[in-house]
Amino acid sequence: MNTEATRLTREEVETLELAPGTQVKQLQGWVPALASETEIRDALDKAFDYRGDVTLVLKSGERVEAYVFDRNAGPSLAQSYVRYFRADSADKLKAAFSDIAGLEFTGKDCAAGKHWEDWVRKYNERKAAGETGIALHPEKLD
Amino acid sequence: MAIPISQMWTVASYVLKNKLSGNNRYPLVLMLEPLFRCNLACAGCGKVQYPAHVLKRRLTPEQCFAAVEECGAPLVSIPGGEPLLHPEIVEIVNGLIARKKYIYLCTNALVLKKRLPEFTPSKYLTFSVHLDGQREHHDMSVCREGGYDLAVEGIKEAVKRGFRVTTNATFFDGANPQSIRSFFDEVMDMGVEGIVLSPGYSYEKAPDQNHFMGRARSRRLFQEVLSNRKRSWKFNMSPLFLEFLMGKRSYECTPWGSPAYNIFGWQRPCYLLQDGYADSWKELLATTKWEEYGAASGNPKCANCMVSCGYEPTAVMDGFTTLKGFAGMVAGTFRSYKTPPSTPPPATPLPHPAQEAVS
Repeated sequence: MNTEATRLTREEVETLELAPGTQVKQLQGWVPALASETEIRDALDKAFDYRGDVTLVLKSGERVEAYVFDRNAGPSLAQSYVRYFRADSADKLKAAFSDIAGLEFTGKDCAAGKHWEDWVRKYNERKAAGETGIALHPEKLD
Repeated sequence: MAIPISQMWTVASYVLKNKLSGNNRYPLVLMLEPLFRCNLACAGCGKVQYPAHVLKRRLTPEQCFAAVEECGAPLVSIPGGEPLLHPEIVEIVNGLIARKKYIYLCTNALVLKKRLPEFTPSKYLTFSVHLDGQREHHDMSVCREGGYDLAVEGIKEAVKRGFRVTTNATFFDGANPQSIRSFFDEVMDMGVEGIVLSPGYSYEKAPDQNHFMGRARSRRLFQEVLSNRKRSWKFNMSPLFLEFLMGKRSYECTPWGSPAYNIFGWQRPCYLLQDGYADSWKELLATTKWEEYGAASGNPKCANCMVSCGYEPTAVMDGFTTLKGFAGMVAGTFRSYKTPPSTPPPATPLPHPAQEAVS
């Protein structure tokens, strides 16, 4: 996960007034270095958390644009893997960490710019301008 | 109590059967997400932030039936995305009814009125309509003016046609207790069977948000909302879970109680957190490090969670497997939870952005 976990005591949990919301670093366009095992594991963990497609560059030379929906960190890179969907395939596909030479966060971050606070600000602006029937609409899929 | 006797009996006998057979990890409600596509674009939603090729995918009816049969839960909740956008949703629902599963089809109801003629009323089918509060609050919450009116139209038509209908609401920081109580009056007047409610949760896959209610604040909100309860209010939930929300009971999370199955597989560890996926229910149960989740674990991702999918199974299991729990459940069904009207408001309340925007 992209936030480092600090364990809380039971008392801290029960007396919590406000829980911090998620603050996700903008990763779109990022090309992480994959020189060490730690860098590989960290980058693929971020790819799993990323809310858009990434490009996996396999050691075979193949470039795979995909949505990473699962990662399983095993004791070695060969025993660790990501699972992903490609846009052109119905199948769940899989690649071992050890087969991945590069990673690029190429796809659009689908959650970026959709903060609650952004909506409230836009709503107030549009309302002040006299607009009615104000709404956000889902993006077209085709 | 808004839940029909036949449904309660099914759940009670299922829980007892598992208890007697020594099975401690079993699902009560399968959260079956047949697609993530939605016809709303709620800011902050943690369920629909995917690329188009993922949003176009959906579970087939056969995949849905296989998941239901594999885990064996007596209740199936169908959230999403918007399930009514699934072209085979009628086939899925009819297949689950044939399997005698109690279904809660969760919908924003934007197209409910139009699609109702395709469904047949059944004691097994409930339309659980997402309504987050009174008109202005709901419209702000779902980022669509007019959303409330469409949903209410759908509710009224469904009630008229003899369907079971509940509403489900999620409340976030700054929610106004008086407005929520008025909202309860409104929905009961619509003729719904009962109300479902839950505090909000900060999904990791959701767009960034500043903060959510911690447990202390959640308890105060629900204490205010659910005390001095009107007789006309019916809740389609365990009374013990409502007491948990009010801070009158302490429960631990039962993350396997409401497992989620979707196009990625069986979600680990629960409906809210996405820590990966298993290919089968059996694999999910066997390979998830359950001790790492829930408030007792100290996991910060679970710290503010009091959501029904984790804690209501605990309450239901308590109610049907212990004498104390059963007695509490029966008493809670009829109690109004009277408290003096001078109950202090939450300390340092923060204005909800929606309240600011619409005032």
